[in-house]
Amino acid sequence: MSDAAALGRPKPVIGKGVLIGLACAAAIGLAMLLGGRVITQQIISGLMLGSIYMTVAVAFTLTIGVLNFLNFTIPTLFMLTGMVAWGLLARGYLAGFGGAAWFVALMAGIAVAILASLVVERFTFRYLKTRHGDATEHAIPLVSSLGFLLIFEHLVLIALGSEAQRFPVPFKADIYFGGLVIGLPQLASLALALGIVAGLTYVLKRTRMGRALRTIAESPDTASLLGVEVARIVPIVFILTGLLSGVAAALFTVNYGDVSPFMGDHIGTKAIAAMVLGGLGSVWGAVAGGLIVGLAETLSIHFLGGDSVQMVVWGMLLLVIILRPQGLFGASSIGKGKM
Amino acid sequence: MLLEVEGLDVRYGRTHAVRAVSLSVGQDEVVTVLGANGAGKTSLLRALQGMVPAAGGQIRFDGVDITRMSPPQRLQRHLALVPEGRQIIISLSVHENLLMGAYCRHDAGVSRDVDGIYDRFPNLAARRDMPASVLSGGEQQMLAISRALLAKPRLMMLDEPSLGLSPLLVERLFGLLGSLRDEGLAILLVEQNTQMALEVASRGLVMELGNVVLEGSADALRHNDRLAAAYLGHAAPAAGPVSPPATPPSSNGRA
Ligand SMILES: Nc1ncnc2c1ncn2[C@@H]1O[C@H](COP(=O)(O)OP(=O)(O)OP(=O)(O)O)[C@@H](O)[C@H]1O
Ligand SMILES: [Mg+2]
Repeated sequence: MSDAAALGRPKPVIGKGVLIGLACAAAIGLAMLLGGRVITQQIISGLMLGSIYMTVAVAFTLTIGVLNFLNFTIPTLFMLTGMVAWGLLARGYLAGFGGAAWFVALMAGIAVAILASLVVERFTFRYLKTRHGDATEHAIPLVSSLGFLLIFEHLVLIALGSEAQRFPVPFKADIYFGGLVIGLPQLASLALALGIVAGLTYVLKRTRMGRALRTIAESPDTASLLGVEVARIVPIVFILTGLLSGVAAALFTVNYGDVSPFMGDHIGTKAIAAMVLGGLGSVWGAVAGGLIVGLAETLSIHFLGGDSVQMVVWGMLLLVIILRPQGLFGASSIGKGKM
Repeated sequence: MLLEVEGLDVRYGRTHAVRAVSLSVGQDEVVTVLGANGAGKTSLLRALQGMVPAAGGQIRFDGVDITRMSPPQRLQRHLALVPEGRQIIISLSVHENLLMGAYCRHDAGVSRDVDGIYDRFPNLAARRDMPASVLSGGEQQMLAISRALLAKPRLMMLDEPSLGLSPLLVERLFGLLGSLRDEGLAILLVEQNTQMALEVASRGLVMELGNVVLEGSADALRHNDRLAAAYLGHAAPAAGPVSPPATPPSSNGRA
């Protein structure tokens, strides 16, 4: 360990997570000092929104980093959670749970997202991989995941209709702090999202399964040679994808109270922007990218009006790609390049 | 015999890369497979580990038919491969690469065995927490071999381990293989460095276009005129494909 420094590669003193945390705190502090209460409120809302983008972006970056697969079903998994939860409540299936029904509904929604994700693995990724050798080299899984997106979306349309719906948020708990309003669900979202990402980073960095995943990311062939049953580990990535998309949707639903069959589309494009901004395959990059996109969205609405959001977000993305093609945290932690 | 292979075939579409190859390796024996580029040596080892399916024939290891087993299952049975080109995982640290070597194990002895590797290879110990990409070619080969050793193999297969190493490092590599042999590890060694390989091995086979064309004790092969003409005179492995004399598949002392 001390050798590492002696041999000229200093260990990073501050982790990326701490760095991002400090940057957020600094942004809030600075806004309080210079911009006043309104701007601070915007920044806080931006970070809350960003925590949802970030969770979805991590789902994208995980499948890209480990499997080199741009999983287009992620926005649908997000939507499934919200719509299934609403459907269960609206049809009265969960009346027996009383006040906890909304919570049970969201948990069931997350479970459906995980199951749907496993279906996608079974019928696109695994099937194609066994049929055509290394499916990661083909566009087929990408296109067939697009197919699943449309199938799931239309299943929901048929079953639950195309209207946007109000999800009954059972509580309104705000904290008032120095004249700022902070929604308790929002705060819980941020904490939960960060907790999940920190947990995921720990698993990838420090555990046996994480090492296996990173080995698969670099070379599935060598992983198999070292005793990793690749076909058994890949579904874990899809379970994590479903979990992350589902949790993000649950947080979104609780915070904003709206669900619709198209709720995933908007979040999906923002999350892809966030992932590219942060650097493909980098978990902390997706975190930083998600928070930045969330901030850019609320601030541009505040200063420039609602129509400017897409211009600002995608303009910023193009600028970053031109200046730093690998993204903010481009040197990815979970393998890139190969595959 | 620890490893017994009978009539093994490997095909890639219309390419017939390994044709009815039979061979065996005993408990504490080193057997070498020689041959020019494209002879099918890598295909043979990959089929033995299960990385490519056998199109025909049978592989028995320790008395068990492993022909249809997956690579991880074969590793569990203590058959390990050090692949061509070393295949170090460069985004993992040196230490993590070693831990991946022991991935197939669930016993408590892993950390003791990893320490044993560091004692044996101080260069790896010094670079323990650095990304494996910083290692030199020789160090990478040490890491690749260490990684295979941590799976506790009974038979270790190596695919051209000396490729790209300086003469001094080649010397050291074969010294290591000799001491592993003396410690009782069985080795199946694919090499183009014919001279060195025949020094460490007790028996050898020569492959050409997927066939075994020559087979015998290391001594006999060293003094075989045709092998000498084809390979020993051109010891430099980088000299490109040499063409050994055309030999009918079933000649010369096949066991
Ligand atoms: N994945 C593959 N797909 C198609 N053909 C292949 C594949 N791998 C090897 N071959 C072909 O099979 C034959 C044997 O190749 P192989 O790599 O086993 O030879 P080798 O003896 O290891 O050669 P070298 O000394 O160059 O490593 C060659 O003709 C090669 O072109
Ligand atoms: Mg080869």
